[in-house]
Amino acid sequence: MEQPQLKAGPITFSKPSKKVVSRRSSKILKHKLALMGGIFVAVLILLAVFAPLIAPYSPIRQSYAEALKPPSSAHWFGTDTLGRDLFSRIIFGAQVSLKAGLISVGLALLIGVPLGMISGYFRGLWDDLIIMRVTDAMLAFPSLILALTLAAVLGPSLNHAMIAIGLVFTPNFIRLVRGEVLAQREREYVTAAKASGLKNVHIMIRHIFPNILGPIIVQATLNVAAAIIAEASLSYLGLGTQLPTPSWGAMLAEGQGYLQQAPWISIFPGLFIFVAVISINVFGDGIRDWLDPKIK
Amino acid sequence: MKVKSYFIVLIILILTVTAGCSTSGSKTQSQSQSDKQLVIGLDDDPPQLDPQKSSAAVDRQVFQSIFNTLVDIDKNGKIIPELATSWNISKDGKTYTFNLRKNVKFQDGTAFNADAVKFNFERELNQKFGSPRLSEIGLISQVKVTNPYQVQLVLKQPFSPLLSILTDRSGMMLSPAAVKKEGAGFSNHPVGTGPYKFENRVKQDHITVTAFKDYWGKKPKVQTIVYHPYTDGNVRLTNLTSGSVDLVNTIDYKDINQVKKNPNLKVSEKAAIGFQGLTLNVKRAPLNNVKIRQAINLAIDRNAIARVIFHNGVTPANGPIPTGSWAHDSSIKVPAGDTNVARKLVADSGLKNVQFTLKIPAGSSQNQQLGQMIQSMLKKAGITVKLEQVEFGTMIQQGIDHNFDAINLGWSGRIDPDGTIYSWFATNGSNNDMGYSNPKVDQWLNQARTISARPERAQIYHKVAQQLWKDAPYIALYYPNDFKVMKKNVSGFQHYPDTMIRPESIYFK
Repeated sequence: MEQPQLKAGPITFSKPSKKVVSRRSSKILKHKLALMGGIFVAVLILLAVFAPLIAPYSPIRQSYAEALKPPSSAHWFGTDTLGRDLFSRIIFGAQVSLKAGLISVGLALLIGVPLGMISGYFRGLWDDLIIMRVTDAMLAFPSLILALTLAAVLGPSLNHAMIAIGLVFTPNFIRLVRGEVLAQREREYVTAAKASGLKNVHIMIRHIFPNILGPIIVQATLNVAAAIIAEASLSYLGLGTQLPTPSWGAMLAEGQGYLQQAPWISIFPGLFIFVAVISINVFGDGIRDWLDPKIK
Repeated sequence: MKVKSYFIVLIILILTVTAGCSTSGSKTQSQSQSDKQLVIGLDDDPPQLDPQKSSAAVDRQVFQSIFNTLVDIDKNGKIIPELATSWNISKDGKTYTFNLRKNVKFQDGTAFNADAVKFNFERELNQKFGSPRLSEIGLISQVKVTNPYQVQLVLKQPFSPLLSILTDRSGMMLSPAAVKKEGAGFSNHPVGTGPYKFENRVKQDHITVTAFKDYWGKKPKVQTIVYHPYTDGNVRLTNLTSGSVDLVNTIDYKDINQVKKNPNLKVSEKAAIGFQGLTLNVKRAPLNNVKIRQAINLAIDRNAIARVIFHNGVTPANGPIPTGSWAHDSSIKVPAGDTNVARKLVADSGLKNVQFTLKIPAGSSQNQQLGQMIQSMLKKAGITVKLEQVEFGTMIQQGIDHNFDAINLGWSGRIDPDGTIYSWFATNGSNNDMGYSNPKVDQWLNQARTISARPERAQIYHKVAQQLWKDAPYIALYYPNDFKVMKKNVSGFQHYPDTMIRPESIYFK
């Protein structure tokens, strides 16, 4: 009776503790998730780029006889109230979503990074205090409300929605970049550059910027996901993409009234928003882990 | 940011899923279903309960139980006696004499008589009071009490729609004693002569009325009526199907088929009195070109719109006067989307690259679908339409300012065709956003006001309809039908063309 116990002893002993196992497996899981996210993002980009080749129908082709048809071999995702093919609309909708995500974040980067660098590097009254107080004020607003107001003031269109989303995300980058620059400007290499008589602009662009690129990339990736949601929300409310251009948010709104009769109209765009955002987020997390020396 | 995004996505998903489940969910009989209480679901909360201050149609659903009018309509829109037992119109059409019903009491116990009628009209006609109903009855110059049960209304000029107008809020009789006692508070404590008296109200929740013991007419069978507002169509329908509401004053068109299939519900459908369509700015290019307007008129397939978007819950339109009206001109053929003729008209117009912006109310998927259908139909005719979603209030204002090419806008309509079209198509009419002006139409519209006989008036309205068809300042697309849905055990409901629920005839089987 005692033998099995003796046998069991060394075996359990040689195993790593539960904590270590879970840490390792969670790391692997995280890598897998990041990989899957990356793959889905890549698929989405391919779908969007080659939409005209992949989509079986024109996204705005109306066929009243085929209205509200459930998913079938002819219409993989079914049809909407005007008999348009939902699969084609989702693919073309990916164009809108990705465009909105990338351009609005691009805009936020374009404004946020220089302002953040100026603010962190010079730390003066005008260039730091004012920029930071404005940033704080903007951050104090709920971002969607701010985007809604901007889109309403500028007038409903995809371009205006992207501008609104871009402006709303700008403070995130200002804050982040300022913080990073504050840490970098005290480093020896900056002092050395200054001592050798280099101009401030040169130091900021050529020396500091490459050193803070990592966090910016991570933040940008995560914000693309948020921007896709913001665009979907604005389009859902009629302030984003204009009809008849397919947008996931607008499609969701269109199907809302038909949830009982034709749930597929809103389920598919909802699913795509969900999966796209999750994928970009886990992919962004993956990049952060990869860039972070502490986690390696 | 990350947590927030997950959260937003989650909420969207949860909303999507729960909204789908709600109606098919539990079937618990939540509220007491005794014969004593009728629960009516309304599409909005009445802003206030003074008929003479009312500008929202939903108010009137509640007024119908509390107040009586001098005259009413029957199910076919014919004028019938109510508080006036008979009336007489002078030969010049300027004096209306009403003989009033005797032994009628207000719910506060005071008597209804000629003085009360005079009090009511003078209150409404007082400029300082600022009644939204004033424009309807503004032609009344004098109210004379000729004996305790006879009143004369003297008009500045003949106005044949007057009797129809008096079936609405401007003809409702309020208790003078209560008005004097309550002052501005009357709208919270309305008192009339109707079959039910006001009991209590919690804003945004309910309005309760109970049977009035001393009602002059046939006593109502249901003792209590509770009105609940549900602005969301899905929520309203869910409350009906789950059993907590007995009758709803309207449903969304998309739900028509589903409701008809439900064995526990009954549907009553009736042609209503309004019209819906496209307001075209006739003073701005390219829609100042009549050929383009005609092309638009002919290119839009009304039947497809009625079928695809409204599930045949609307009637395809050929002009602004609906099929249910005695003045409707059925000789005009409803367009079926004739692309070839439309193309030819566009070519004849001499214009190239015809395009305009159509404003549609934001947030209404029904109007979004309509806009996209029109866009696609007109594209086939060679006209490019840009759609712009605008918040409804802003859109109305842009209409008034003539700051648009085209707007998707309609009108609830009135029992009398004059009320349905005069303000829209008379030069400088209050609803004439189009900027339309045709002396012939003006002349006919005014002429129709002076004639009392319906067949003669109908002839004139036919001429107006024919001219509007040629000029096409407004593209009438459909006439909304009115749907009342109730539980199987609700009996005695009668459907009136003014879409108002008159609850005194209702009982439970």
